[in-house]
Amino acid sequence: MNSIHDMGGMHGLGPLDPSDDEIVFHAAWEGRTMALARAMMAGKHFNLDEYRYAMERIDPARYLQFSYYERWLEGTLNLLMEKGVITQQEFDAQLSKLSKADS
Amino acid sequence: MPVVDLELVKNLYKTPGAARLPVDVAPRFKAGDAVVARNINPPGHTRLPRYIRDKKGVIENDLGVFHLPDSRAAGTGDQAQHMYTVRFDAREVWGVEAPANDSLRITLWDDYMNPA
Repeated sequence: MNSIHDMGGMHGLGPLDPSDDEIVFHAAWEGRTMALARAMMAGKHFNLDEYRYAMERIDPARYLQFSYYERWLEGTLNLLMEKGVITQQEFDAQLSKLSKADS
Repeated sequence: MPVVDLELVKNLYKTPGAARLPVDVAPRFKAGDAVVARNINPPGHTRLPRYIRDKKGVIENDLGVFHLPDSRAAGTGDQAQHMYTVRFDAREVWGVEAPANDSLRITLWDDYMNPA
């Protein structure tokens, strides 16, 4: 797929910034996102190649704005809905519940 | 059906790290073979990046047999193929302004290449 993910040789994206000393997870949700993705693959809900393809299909403007694990999370959510593991309604309901619990 | 249960978590720890497949498949290429990356533009998943298409390289190393990502992402059936480290001169990829002695190595599957 010729999408925004295939950026080898592209100019204008600025210098690489390795200054955070290779921190693995910048926040707890990033670790949970990785664990969720691994669990879904071990549970055979999707495979690694389907997962990469899901991330490649993220809207290009959003793809560029997302951080690394935001792409993982978006890819996971899209696949879980495409595969019928969860529905959009279930996701929205849970999000609404958690938002209320937070406020 | 729970999405995550205890058996699944146990299996996570048993999952082997390498995706290499223990199957006997004939390789299309061997180390030293001159190849050209195919110019394909599939709407589905591929791990053949745009910048390497139509470029000439040399097989450096046969890494063994792996699932072709393209068909596995599409769910159209697993295809076990050899995957290789392939060397491309920087000037072949990026043109005459690239350093003369630089090269890049990229892993490519049998289906991604033709004999040069």
